[in-house]
Amino acid sequence: MIKTKELTKYYGKNARGIIGVSMDIKEGEIFGFIGPNGAGKSTCVRTLLNFIFPTSGQAEVMGLDIIKDSVEIRRNVGYVPAEVHYYKNMIVEDFLKYSTDFYTDDYEERLFDLAKKLELDLSRKVGDLSSGNKKKVAIVLALVYQPKLLIFDEPTLGLDPLIQSVFFDLLEKEKERGATIFFSSHVLSDVQKICDRVGIIKEGKLIKVENIEDIMKTRAKNVRIQSDDFDLEENEQIVDLRKIKDSYHFTYKGKISDLLKKIQPYKIEDISITEPTLEEIFMHYYNKEDKQ
Amino acid sequence: MNQYIITEFKRQLSSLILWTAIICGLSILMLSIYPTFKDSFSELEAMLDAFPPAILEVFGLGEGGLDMSTPYGWYGMEGYLFVVLIGGSYAGILGSTILSQEEDDQTIEFLLSKPISRNQILFGKALVVITNLIILNIILFVTLLIAFSLIGDLIFLTTLLLVIGPFLLQLIFASISFAISIFVTKSRKVMSVSLGLVIGLFFLDIIATLTDELNFLKYITPYEYVNAVSIVNNQTIDLIYLIISIAIIITSGFVTWFFYNRKDITI
Repeated sequence: MIKTKELTKYYGKNARGIIGVSMDIKEGEIFGFIGPNGAGKSTCVRTLLNFIFPTSGQAEVMGLDIIKDSVEIRRNVGYVPAEVHYYKNMIVEDFLKYSTDFYTDDYEERLFDLAKKLELDLSRKVGDLSSGNKKKVAIVLALVYQPKLLIFDEPTLGLDPLIQSVFFDLLEKEKERGATIFFSSHVLSDVQKICDRVGIIKEGKLIKVENIEDIMKTRAKNVRIQSDDFDLEENEQIVDLRKIKDSYHFTYKGKISDLLKKIQPYKIEDISITEPTLEEIFMHYYNKEDKQ
Repeated sequence: MNQYIITEFKRQLSSLILWTAIICGLSILMLSIYPTFKDSFSELEAMLDAFPPAILEVFGLGEGGLDMSTPYGWYGMEGYLFVVLIGGSYAGILGSTILSQEEDDQTIEFLLSKPISRNQILFGKALVVITNLIILNIILFVTLLIAFSLIGDLIFLTTLLLVIGPFLLQLIFASISFAISIFVTKSRKVMSVSLGLVIGLFFLDIIATLTDELNFLKYITPYEYVNAVSIVNNQTIDLIYLIISIAIIITSGFVTWFFYNRKDITI
């Protein structure tokens, strides 16, 4: 669905673009594109939509060239930008109708249905909307045409938790319908919730692409032990050992049975062993890159 | 696509009404003074004799210039100047803001995410600019037809040329401003550049008329292309100026098309 080869955008010495991004996103896949602000996520999205031209490399969306066939690509792409800027003086309803006029089919019914689900007030002026409500307008616009590909750039930014859950329900339906979703975000819990695969972008480079299950199945566990007479030292298995109040926190990379043997002599008040969050894994990759 | 053009037109409608009212209002005002002025023309003529010929030349009153005692001479001298300057300013502002405003307000991202090509975006905007200028000038033309009929001396061709001249000038300013707005995307900045051009070239026109050595400047300033003297006295717009005007408009259009299809639109 999206195929890029050594895609590079160079803005000049003082601004970061993207460098040699190669990825292959399959039809029907939900691909999480993660990285902190300024890593190059939006640049990548804008290049795919031909707002900006790549410095070098190639990219295809739906088998179409991103530059030559950009109009055809955009006919089948729903896009939610990170920051939404629409015509301030237009009434939301008029604006939504205006927007659907760029397409040939009639989407009015679906438009109202989506607006209702997201609790969007149609009678207000676009300029009077909060950033969260503007985001809702963008989401309605992206989903209304039932496009083959959805490109989201920080879609949950500004949405309250209730609407976020409605939004994820809508995405589930889109997935069932067979839509491909490119989900660019720095909110890793969102990505963890719905994505099949993730790509981690750092300083313009795509440093890792992995199935979300595989990435989460890392053997490392977060361990917290509450004990008075505990005495462990950092080694190959026990890393990042910290004492917070009367608890010891560390990441354990060995076999759990070995750990249990090791802590048996101590008087343990409480213990918890948990999977690391995507945040922690993400930080792990980020720091690893730095060390290299 | 149609809705895009209609929406764009609606967005520009209030400013079209405002500028049309100003331009037509000033024309009517100037022509309404004419009957009063006609009676005291001989006194004014004596006063004008006291001015150096070069100054009179600037105002189109020198040798072979306008005869202020006729309605068309009067209008060419008093009303036309406003139409040309204010109409040029409107065209410059419209041409410079219609596209740059989208980048300024960052709404261009919305348009670019729709299945519409950059050429269609440009075409729609240009069409709205041209339509607005045509409407402005048709209303001005009808206003002048009525006004000159009331004064009693309607010359159809001269009246028509007195509207076509400014229209041509407006097209020149609008197309240059439109092209500049591809490179300077802050709409306030590009508007200043355009207005600077409209006013700067006007003064260049004055300098070109005043100084014989700098007479060649008249080819650079579009005000000279649509000079009232030539329209009122000879009922013509010089062919060479017409060709230059069209060349400027086409070149600006080409520059706009060429660079807009290649530029990064970052917001």
